Amino acid sequence: MSRNESIIRVEHLTASYDDTVILEDISFEVRQGEVFAILGGSGCGKSTLLRHMIGLREPDQGHVWIDGEDMIGADEPQKTRILGKIGVTFQGGALFGSMTLLENVRLPLEEYTALPKAAMDLVALMKLELVGLREAHHRMPSELSGGMQKRAAIARAMVLDPAILFLDEPSAGLDPITSAELDRLMLQLARQLSVTFVIVTHELPSVYAVADRVILLDKERRGIAATGAPAQLRDDKTNRAAWQFFHRQIGDQSMHIKEGRIGNGKPSFRTK
Amino acid sequence: MEALEKQDTATLSVQSQDGERLLLTLTGPLDFHNSARLWDKAIGALSHHSFGQIVIDAEKIRSCDGGGLALLFEIQLWAREHGKSMELHGLKKEYADLLKNFTPEAFLAHRTARHKSIPFPEEIGRATVEFWQDFQEQVGFIGQAFVALVTSILRPWRIRWKDVFWVAEHAGANAVGIVILLGFLFGLIITFSSALPLRQFGVEVYVSDLAALALVRVLGPFITAIILAGRSGSAFAAEIGTMKINNEIDALETMGLDPVRFLVVPRLLATTVVTPLLAILANLAGIIGSAVVMLSLGFTLRTFITHVESAISPPDVYSGLVKCFVFGLLVSGVGCLRGLQTETGASAVGISTTRAVVSGIVLVVVAEGVFAVLYHFLEI
Ligand SMILES: Nc1ncnc2c1ncn2[C@@H]1O[C@H](COP(=O)(O)OP(=O)(O)OP(=O)(O)O)[C@@H](O)[C@H]1O
Ligand SMILES: [Mg+2]
Repeated sequence: MSRNESIIRVEHLTASYDDTVILEDISFEVRQGEVFAILGGSGCGKSTLLRHMIGLREPDQGHVWIDGEDMIGADEPQKTRILGKIGVTFQGGALFGSMTLLENVRLPLEEYTALPKAAMDLVALMKLELVGLREAHHRMPSELSGGMQKRAAIARAMVLDPAILFLDEPSAGLDPITSAELDRLMLQLARQLSVTFVIVTHELPSVYAVADRVILLDKERRGIAATGAPAQLRDDKTNRAAWQFFHRQIGDQSMHIKEGRIGNGKPSFRTK
Repeated sequence: MEALEKQDTATLSVQSQDGERLLLTLTGPLDFHNSARLWDKAIGALSHHSFGQIVIDAEKIRSCDGGGLALLFEIQLWAREHGKSMELHGLKKEYADLLKNFTPEAFLAHRTARHKSIPFPEEIGRATVEFWQDFQEQVGFIGQAFVALVTSILRPWRIRWKDVFWVAEHAGANAVGIVILLGFLFGLIITFSSALPLRQFGVEVYVSDLAALALVRVLGPFITAIILAGRSGSAFAAEIGTMKINNEIDALETMGLDPVRFLVVPRLLATTVVTPLLAILANLAGIIGSAVVMLSLGFTLRTFITHVESAISPPDVYSGLVKCFVFGLLVSGVGCLRGLQTETGASAVGISTTRAVVSGIVLVVVAEGVFAVLYHFLEI
């Protein structure tokens, strides 16, 4: 499969918890080898969308195609095959508390490869090195800071070199430098090895630095408020939600843009 | 089909060139599967030949994942470790770039650093000291909690009564069924098993005296305490331990609220009140169990009651109930302590719960012994 073909397709997805509909009829696609960011305010359903994309929850309606296979309603062997192509980190890290970092990262290798033990250790150490944690490999997750746990989880997610990596807020809780290093790593993997990234993030600098395309979710609309390249959405004056998000403005402050920068006195935002 | 398969296997050929250079030629896709296959062969070849320089021809490596990179890096590490030089030719740029992320020196430092193990006698010494410190901590904490309990009782408006009632319901009311059942069964069993030997001497009528006395003074309170340790001591440890893991204890402290007053006192208060009540039920149920056996052995209810009445006096009952206060205090105190001692990590709460039950039972048995001696000297 070559670049720019779509590797993930979400079609008419509707997701809810009990009676509350969180996302309604959303569709989009992610292309091979791109860094795709899911943006949106807190609680708008980004993590929920991610959970549906990796098959942890069944949607009420709709389909998720990963590399040509439908995740929804797939049988067990099919699901295992699809899951073999993806790596996931959760918002909370989700490292196994009873294992050291090295053991955490090595676990998928033990289950899926026949490498000699010393080789597994080396692979795991190399992945830890990529996220800057080689020195801490013998520590328990509880002895790490929040940001370190997050990075270790990323190392674990990519230890088998999956084609698609889903990262829920990878750079939350990281300092700007570590976060920039993570961005560099993502770009390197995406550009050189065509790894596809689907990331949920709030960090605008990181979005501008790495994301090829983004979707912006909106809580009220229960769907996608905007799609496109980050710079393009930032400069799009016709989309109110995108403008507010990218210019970090709350509700009524949009008045200020209207007068100050767009300036012709007429409201130029699309209203719902 | 066969041709296809051939394409998917990587190969390694080793060539020694006039004892000077060792040429390793790798071809095909160097993925996890293939590098696992080739790993031992490649590393083995290094130690079986003598040479001054390793040359890796990577021209024909079609693709390379984490496993393949690790193999290339391992050869690099080996060369560095054994003071040989190494050249890597023709690796695709994307993989070469990735390989540049790793510096051999840093990784070699790990190999030389071995973990030291502690000698056996030292381990025993450490364990003993730890055990003693832990015991001191338990006693100290229960004392501290008791003081907090008393000061709270002196200022009852500061007690969180809602929590007290909640705990009383869960530790007390919900335990009534199991306490009655076990008390009844114990009465049944001790009466039955002592009736048979005593029958040989023709004095089995005194079994009711013996059983009633044993139940009221020792077994009733003891059964209750064990049930309390299993049901409530563990629950306290789990509840407080989970709060500890979620930083809720830290939150209480930063709000200026004392966790002991907030969490421990309501639990202590509720359990010290419900334990004697539960013990009364256990005693009653045990005596009923005993009566059932005696009736089935052909004695009348009247005989049974007369014997029980003459065997136990009010001090017997009170002494049992006084113990229950202490048992309740110990079991719930150590349960809360284990909860507060919970460390971080997924297994931490499980460990705390186990320790709560074990320490609870040990403390109850120790206290039982102390009471036996104490009552002997007080002639109760
Ligand atoms: N297990 C659940 N049961 C019920 N509702 C849930 C559950 N998980 C999430 N929700 C609700 O779904 C909505 C979306 O949650 P989600 O975790 O997807 O948000 P998010 O966009 O990832 O937010 P954040 O940026 O804060 O992580 C929220 O309103 C939340 O209350
Ligand atoms: Mg989230």
